[in-house]
This record gives sequence, structure tokens and C-alpha cells, in this order.
Amino acid sequence: MNIQEYISSGILEAYALGELSSSEELEVVENLKKYPEIKEELHKVELSLENLALETAVSPSPQVKASVLAAIDDGEHEVHGRNLGVWRLAVAASVTIAAVSLVLAYSYYNKWKHTEHELSSLIAQNERLAQDYNQVNKKIDQVESDFDILRDARFRRVSMNGTDNAPKSQALVYWNEITEDVYLSINSLDMLSKQKQYQLWAIVDGKPVDAGVFNSGVKHLLKMKSIKGASAFAVTVEPKGGSVSPTLETMQLMGAV
Amino acid sequence: MDQSELAVLLKDRNKIAMKYLYENYSASLYGVVVRIVVDEKVAEEVLQDAFLKIWEKIANYDAQKGRLFTWMLNLTRNLAIDKLRSKEIKRVQKTDELNNNVYNIERNNLVHQNIDTIGVEKFLDKLREEERLVIDLIYFKGYTQSEVSEEKNIPLGTVKTRLRMALINLRKALGVR
Repeated sequence: MNIQEYISSGILEAYALGELSSSEELEVVENLKKYPEIKEELHKVELSLENLALETAVSPSPQVKASVLAAIDDGEHEVHGRNLGVWRLAVAASVTIAAVSLVLAYSYYNKWKHTEHELSSLIAQNERLAQDYNQVNKKIDQVESDFDILRDARFRRVSMNGTDNAPKSQALVYWNEITEDVYLSINSLDMLSKQKQYQLWAIVDGKPVDAGVFNSGVKHLLKMKSIKGASAFAVTVEPKGGSVSPTLETMQLMGAV
Repeated sequence: MDQSELAVLLKDRNKIAMKYLYENYSASLYGVVVRIVVDEKVAEEVLQDAFLKIWEKIANYDAQKGRLFTWMLNLTRNLAIDKLRSKEIKRVQKTDELNNNVYNIERNNLVHQNIDTIGVEKFLDKLREEERLVIDLIYFKGYTQSEVSEEKNIPLGTVKTRLRMALINLRKALGVR
């Protein structure tokens, strides 16, 4: 059998929606046992249908829940009385007690199993939360240190605007002349292919000096190489790892101090 | 709790599992029902019947054949479609016994009435026109593939492949890999 052809005929979708005749259905069930690829594909079809229902779910009114649960409870309370002698009653009573304790034991066993499962899912949830918390904490640390730089009056803010190559691009350089620290904040830059990177240059005494390479898409401040006595900053596109001297025709951003 | 564990508990007649089932899946199933039968009162009746039937018939569910949700979805869809037909047949008999087309017209109206109102649009607009039609009629309105083929004059094989393409194109948006 050609499995790909079988799958692409749409028979699994029809199966999942219960539209096949019972003989066709049996055939699919047989194939599910024989071919793992078919089973896997059916799983995807089922998940699609299920997630589509989940994504387009509508909550019913709360009364429905109450009446469903009540109806289920009612269904199991069918008691019938019978005329019994005393000893029969006693036997019946002990049998009942035994039966009731059996049922209770069973029901507690189920509850326990359920609780155990809930506990492990809660533990997993807790771990996830802890991870999220750590991530958020890291982010806050980053934001705090960025903020310290932004509000430090010794940092000069140099705005670099897009050249004709990339008129919409924009980035800021924060430069401390005394400590020579340079930070870069990307506002908007095009995505580059994996073989290319952006490179920041400082113009010192009329010559370009490498201030480090970086990728687009970074939200926080980037620490660049230290620079002394810059009169302007510019960004070019270079092969991954950067170049010794800038490829001027790829100039993306430029801004004077 | 995953569906296979849930199915085992339900087969054990565990009422807590039933409550869990209701809490986790009623909205998914209700969305399906209310789009088919439209009237909320009727839809809630159908949903209730569906859950009682799930409870009654859970022994018939066979995990070898597919997921628990798929089984519930089909059981629920069938109840909704049966309800829609009995309602529509009554209405048709009341208004015009001679007009065989009323059934179709009614259903066609429903398609337009409902589609943008209940949050389906954002999924359907990812699809090509012809795929959208097929998934809307089959998934959201409860048509069978052969009904779509007859009413829209599209060969049955084409209906099948379009439904398949539609579901494949939705996979990414639905997080299915």
C-alpha cells in the first residue's frame, strides 16, 4: 500500500469525523495497527480538530453543569425495598456494610489516585512558575542596569538615523567620554541573513574605529567596545564576525556626536 | 490529566473524573453545538444530553480507535445534527410542506449569520476560499462530506482533499506539529 497516497486521500479526516461506513472504518482501524505513520497522522488530524474546538470554544451557562452532575448522581440512587426476616435482615445488613465499605474503599482509592495525579501536575506547574520567575528576575536585572545607564548624566546620547540604504532604521549610542564606555540601543533595524552582522564604527580623528559587531532584534542595551574621542558613530553591514575597515556602501546608520 | 487516564477513570464510573471532563471540555463541545443548532437554549439541552450519553456509553469508547475527545466530539456533533434536522423538518412542515428547498435555504442562512459572530473568523481567514467553505460547512455547520458534495456540486474526492488541506493549513495556527 502507498501510505502517502492513502493519507492524502483525506480518509483519516473522514474517519476522525465519523463519516465512514463501518466496513471502511474497520479497514482504517486495521491500518492504524499496521502502520505507525498512519497512526501518527491520525493523531495530528485529531489534535487539529480538538484544538480548533478549543480555540473556538464557547462557555455554556453554569446551570448546565449543575444539571449534568445532578443527573449523573440521580442515576445511581435506585433503591428497592424488600420484606425480609430478621436474620435475613442481619445478613443483609452485614453484606450491605461490607459492600458499602468496598465501594468506599474503591472510591477513596480512585480519589487518592486522582489526588496523586493532581499533586504531580501541581509540582510540575510549580516548577514552571519558578522558571518563569527566574526569567522575569533576570529581565528586571537587565532593565535596572539599562536604566542606570539611561539616567546617568555622564552618558551622551547620540542618535543615529537611517541612511538611504535603510531610511526607516534607527538606533541610539550612549557614550561616556570619561570612562569611554559605549552602549547601543536598537530601535529599528532590518533582519540580516545568518552570514551577516551589523558593525558599529566610531569616527575618531576622521578615521573609522571598530566598536564591535551585533545582531538585530536585541531589546536591551548592548555593551560595545570602549571608544575615546569620537566625533560620530555609524553602522555598516559586514560578513559575520566583522571587518577591519567598514564597507561604506552598506552604511545603515549615521549620527554625529 | 491526559485523556487516556481520564477515559480509564470514566470507565470506572468515577464521578470526579466526570466533573473534570465537564470542566475541561464542555466549552469546546458547546462551541461546536451552538454553531450547529444556533439557538442557545436548544444548544444547552444538546450539551447536557451529550454529557449524559458520554457517561452512559463510555464503555463503548475504544482507545485503539482514537482520542477520547474525538469520540466525544462525534457523539456530540451527531446529537446536534439530529436536533437541527428534527427542528428544521418541523419548521418546514409548518410553513410550506411543498417546498423542498427550505431545508437548504435555512442552512445557507445560518452560514452567513454565524460565521463572524463567534470567533471563528481569525482561523478561517488563513484559508483559501474553497477550503474555508468546506471546513465551515463540515466542521462548524455539521454537514457530511457527501452533503457538501451534493449541495455545492463539488466531486466528493475534491471535498475530501480540500478538508484535508484546510486542516493541514490550520495546523500551525493550532499548534499541531
